[in-house]
Parts: sequence; C-alpha cells; structure tokens
Amino acid sequence: MGNRSHRGGIILFLTPVAVLYALFFLYPLGYVFTVSLVDWNGVTAMQFVGLKNYLELLQRSVFRLSVRNNLIWALSLGAGQVGLAVLVALILARRPAGWRLLRTIYFLPNVISQVALAMMWLAIYNAEYGILNAALELMGWGAYARNWLGEIDSALPAIILQQLLYIGYFMIIILAATLSISETFYEAAQIDGADVWQQERHITLPIIRPIVITAATLAMAFGLRHFEATFLMTNGGPANSTSVLGIMLYKTVSALNYGRANAVAVTLIVLGTLLIVAVRRLGREDRAAEERQ
Amino acid sequence: MTCYNRFRVLLAALLLPCAATLAVAGGDGEGAGIVTELQFPTFWVGQDSKAAPIAALIDQFNADNEGSINVVLEPNPDTDGYRTKIQTGMAVGQVPDVFVFAPGPTQFQYYASDLLLDFTDDLAGPWGDTYVAGAVAGATRDGRTKSVPFEIGVVPIWYNTELLERAGVAQFPQTMEEFWDAAEQLKAAGVTPTSQMTGGTNAWTSMLWYSHIATSLGGPEVWERPLTDPLFTEAAEVLLRLYQDGNTTADAVGGDAGVSGGHYMAQDTAVFINGPWYIGRIRRDAPETHAATRLAYAPQVGDHHGFTLGFPLSNLAAANTDNPARRAAVVKFMQWLTAPANVQMITEQAGSMFALKYELGDDLDPLLQEFVRIVGNASFVGTPIFVHYPSEVILEIGQAIGAMVVGGASPADFVQMLIEANE
Repeated sequence: MGNRSHRGGIILFLTPVAVLYALFFLYPLGYVFTVSLVDWNGVTAMQFVGLKNYLELLQRSVFRLSVRNNLIWALSLGAGQVGLAVLVALILARRPAGWRLLRTIYFLPNVISQVALAMMWLAIYNAEYGILNAALELMGWGAYARNWLGEIDSALPAIILQQLLYIGYFMIIILAATLSISETFYEAAQIDGADVWQQERHITLPIIRPIVITAATLAMAFGLRHFEATFLMTNGGPANSTSVLGIMLYKTVSALNYGRANAVAVTLIVLGTLLIVAVRRLGREDRAAEERQ
Repeated sequence: MTCYNRFRVLLAALLLPCAATLAVAGGDGEGAGIVTELQFPTFWVGQDSKAAPIAALIDQFNADNEGSINVVLEPNPDTDGYRTKIQTGMAVGQVPDVFVFAPGPTQFQYYASDLLLDFTDDLAGPWGDTYVAGAVAGATRDGRTKSVPFEIGVVPIWYNTELLERAGVAQFPQTMEEFWDAAEQLKAAGVTPTSQMTGGTNAWTSMLWYSHIATSLGGPEVWERPLTDPLFTEAAEVLLRLYQDGNTTADAVGGDAGVSGGHYMAQDTAVFINGPWYIGRIRRDAPETHAATRLAYAPQVGDHHGFTLGFPLSNLAAANTDNPARRAAVVKFMQWLTAPANVQMITEQAGSMFALKYELGDDLDPLLQEFVRIVGNASFVGTPIFVHYPSEVILEIGQAIGAMVVGGASPADFVQMLIEANE
C-alpha cells in the first residue's frame, strides 16, 4: 500500500514536467527531424525529399569544415577551458591572499554580454589598430603582427583562445566542490609527508572528478552549440574557415531554406548526443576501472 | 475596520488601476471611435541618417490622425538582425503591421503566401502615378504588388579629391590601367587606395566593386549570363588585385561595413563605394571627408564605361488583414510616407533617394547633387549581383573573396564557390 502510494506520488509530481518536456522538447525535436526531410521555404507547401538535404550537406565543403570546427570547439572547451578552471580552482582553494577578489574577477566575464566581449576582442585583434599587434610592435616582434581574424591559420585559434580564458563558470563549480572537501584528509596526508602536488593528485582530484566530468560535459555542449563569438567576430570567415554548424544553420535559414537548415540542426543534435554519451561512458568506465583496483 | 474590510479595501485598491488600465488599453479594435494602432519595426533609428526625418513624419502623421490611427515606431538598429527577425517571424506567420521589405530574390518568395497586404489596386490609381517609371513594376510579381516601392540605391565610386591631389593624381582614373597607376601614386604618398571588406552578410563594398567590374565587362545584361561565363573569373581577377599589393587595408579580410566606411571617413583610404544614404553619416561624422568627396563611374575594365549601378533598396510592406479599417489605415500611412513632399524632405535631410517623382531644393547637399549628376549623365544604370542571385550566393561572396585573398583559391575557384552556393 505504502509503495503504491509512493509510486502514485512520483507519477503525480513527474507528470506535469513530463508533459511540458514532451510538448516543448520532444515535439519540436520531431518537427525538426520531419522538416529536415522536406524542401520548404517557409511560404509554399512542403515537399517531401527524403534524405536529399542530408546528401547535399555532405557534398558541401563548408559543412564538413563546420563539423570539424564544432568538434574542435567542443574538445577545446571540454579539455582546455575546464582544465584551466581546475588549475585555477585548485590554486584558489588553497586560499592565497586575495583569493576571494580573484574568484570574483575570474567570474566577472560571465555576467558581461558576449556581444560586448566580442567587440572588445575585435578591437584587440584588429590588424590596423589592434592592441595585440601594437604590443607585438612595441616588444620588437612586429614580424608576428598579422590580421588575426582575417587569416585562415590564425582566425579559429584566435576566437577559441578568447573563449578559453572565460573560465569563471566552471571555476566556481569546481572551487565549490574543492572547498567542500574535509580538511582532515589534507592534515592526514601532511602527517604522512605528502607534498602539495601529491595531496591534489591523490585527494582533491579523485574526489572532485565527477564534478570535473560534469563540467567537461557542459563545456563540450557549449562548444557544440557555439555561435555568438564566431558570428560577431568573423561570421564564419575567412573562406568559411571558422564556420560552425550554428553559423551554417543561421545562413541557411536566412536563405529561407528551412529543409536544409533543419538537416543542419539534426546533425548538430546527433553530434552532440554522440559526444556527450561518449564522454559520460568514458567517465563511468574510468571510475569502474579504479573501483576494481 | 475589520480584517475582512481591510482586505476588501486593499483588493479594490489593487484591482481599480488594473481595471482602468484594461479599459484604456482594451480593444485595439477598429470600431467607431477606436484608434487603429500600427506597429512599425524599423532600422531607420539611432545612427541611421533617416532616423530623424522618419520619426518626424510619423509624429506628424499621428498628430494629423489623432483619435483614429496611431503608428508606433519599434527601433531595431541592426539592419541584418532586423531582416532576420522579420524573416523568422514571417516563417511562423507573424508579420509586423508595417515593415521594411528588402526587395531581393529571397524575400520576393513571400509574395507566394497570403501573409502580405496586396497593394495592386491601390497603386493602379493616382498613387501609382507618383512613382518613377518601372518602380511599381519592379515590385510586382505575377501581377500582384505586395510591397510598396520606397528607397532606391545608387552606388557609384566615391573618391577623396584631397588625397588624390596629394598623391599627384589629377583626375579620377577612367580605365583600370590608369587606376593601377593612381594606386601606386597613392601608396607612395602613404594613402591606401581602396576600402574593401569581406565581412557583414554580403561583403558590401567588395561585392559592389565586383558588380561594377563585371558590368564593365558584360554590360547592363551581364547577370543574364551564367556564372560559368569566363567574364566572371576575369572580374574576380581584378577584384583580387584590389586586395593585393597594399591596394586595401590590412583588416579588409574579415572587416565589415564599419571597417570599410570607417577607413574612408578617417581618410585612410581614397576610394570607396556606397549609396546616398551614407551622406548623412559622413557629413555628421567626417565633415572634412564629406567636403572632399566626389563621385565617379567605375574605371573601365571591359567595353562598358560611364554607367552606374542602382537597385530598389527598401520597399514597404504590411501584414495582410481582412479588416477594412486597418487596411485603410495602412494604405493611408504608406501614402503619407511616400508622398513626394515627404520623400523630398527625407532626401534633403538624410541624402537618401526614392523611387518617386519629386523635385529637390536648391540648397541640396553637394554630395547629393553629385549623385543626381552621376545618375543623370550615366550611359546606363546597371544592377549589382545581389539583385539577381538568392541569399545563398550573396552570403558566400565574402567567404569566396577570403578564400581567394588568404586561402590560395584562384579567381576560378571564387566563381566556383558562388556556383556551388547557387545549386
């Protein structure tokens, strides 16, 4: 009786969310997939074309470039940004002088509009008046000055680099997890003669690993759906070298090609699902292997 | 006062203002004595040179129609964002009451729907007679005119006379060979010859250069030829050279309209392309450059010279409605905005040109007088590439230029990228 009423309570509380989820996520998802199979300009009647939109996408070099760039973004943020966030969180967790101020400073960019940040980086990277080139000239490295966002070799790294620096969001999550670790572990380790590096490696990192994996998963998801900075700083150029699926989707929608745009969207969803599942599975296997040891 | 009574007083105090608000706002219905409100989202706000005259015209219209029609201007300062917003809304059937319609091949697809108000019968009368020849026909598809012609664009070459003189160039080059010589002289004098850009949605300045060069090679009907015509590769070769050897600024690849126009206004570059709507901006932000600017026909590359390029820039459109009062209000507002006296006022204040028959005053901006001269003396008025190709192609132009300039692609590859985008 008790179990039945418990189950009834669960159903009662989950039903509204499940209905909303179905209505505002599953139904649109199904609609996106359906529209990806038609030729439609948003005005005239839809025409079923099967997988034509997908086959056409595969033939386009810009699509292949965009998928590659999305993966680069996901891996860069998942490894680079979260790695930096872990490093900074571990340092701040040691509570050096001014650590609270530093925590605020690192988090500050997360409350600033991406548009404002992109404008700032445009000014930094500008080939004619940019601060970066001016600094290089000043230091006698003028030979390295270039059009950072206008050259194929440097445009994508330049945009990714500016994004990597904004570690505040993940740093706060990891720092909170690190600060919640009991001091007694470290005191015991110190008594046993463990140095700082050994303490971090054998105490902190194993304890915060689930949080780091979650942060990496989130960072990769952000990388996969990346749009704003690239749109504002290069619009996918030069020569589509910084294009991502989000930019491609935007341009395809602008051209009123909704069938193909939805095929891009489905690709993005599938790519994201595969990557996230892979990361979660990797994290689980890693933990299982450690537990077996 | 009891607790219950206090509650009733509080409830009344809360509800009364709400009820009053509802009574005032209630019903945008178009019955007798009710004001028809028209929302007009537009990018003619903020820094746009037409912001002030358009706002003044709307204020005047609202004053003249007080109690019956009220037009509410919704500021959307970002032109590209505005167009995206309109398109996205239309895809789900949400059309603004009145809006600025970009008259291109992509947007004309909306004529096939019943989303837009049909002005065919209205423009068949005296209102249509106020337009220059061909303007209404240009906004008509399959016999229906679902947008009202308004602003037109003319995009000749702009050049800075002072910078040319400083470099020892006596007059604007007539041929491309003369242009390259002048470019060398300019560079020797420390001036970058041209403003270019691959950014924005359509690489505006460079796309117009390409259109001028192709038109010089192929004449007014150049865009009727397939892109596989070798002429388009030849035009791309000239465009590529404009990006090489210091003929443009280092930030041209990736630069947007702000970069291209900014360099010209700052007198970093001597040659630029844009339309008359830019007059207001340059007069306000760079008066010295404004005073030194003259207009010219593009240097001759092929058989054609002495022409300029023009196109319908912005039409006005409205949401379809079955309500006669609302329809009448929209038409009345459109007729007000396109009244010859009103477009004359906008032209004189902002420099923009319109597809209507109207006179211009004697104290016209000298640069606007240049536009009138250049159009009047042109051997023909051709059209830029974006009038003829869909958004897919136009969005790819900047990327294709980038591929050519920094990606090692050849001019033939440039054309191939456009062909692929068009498939």
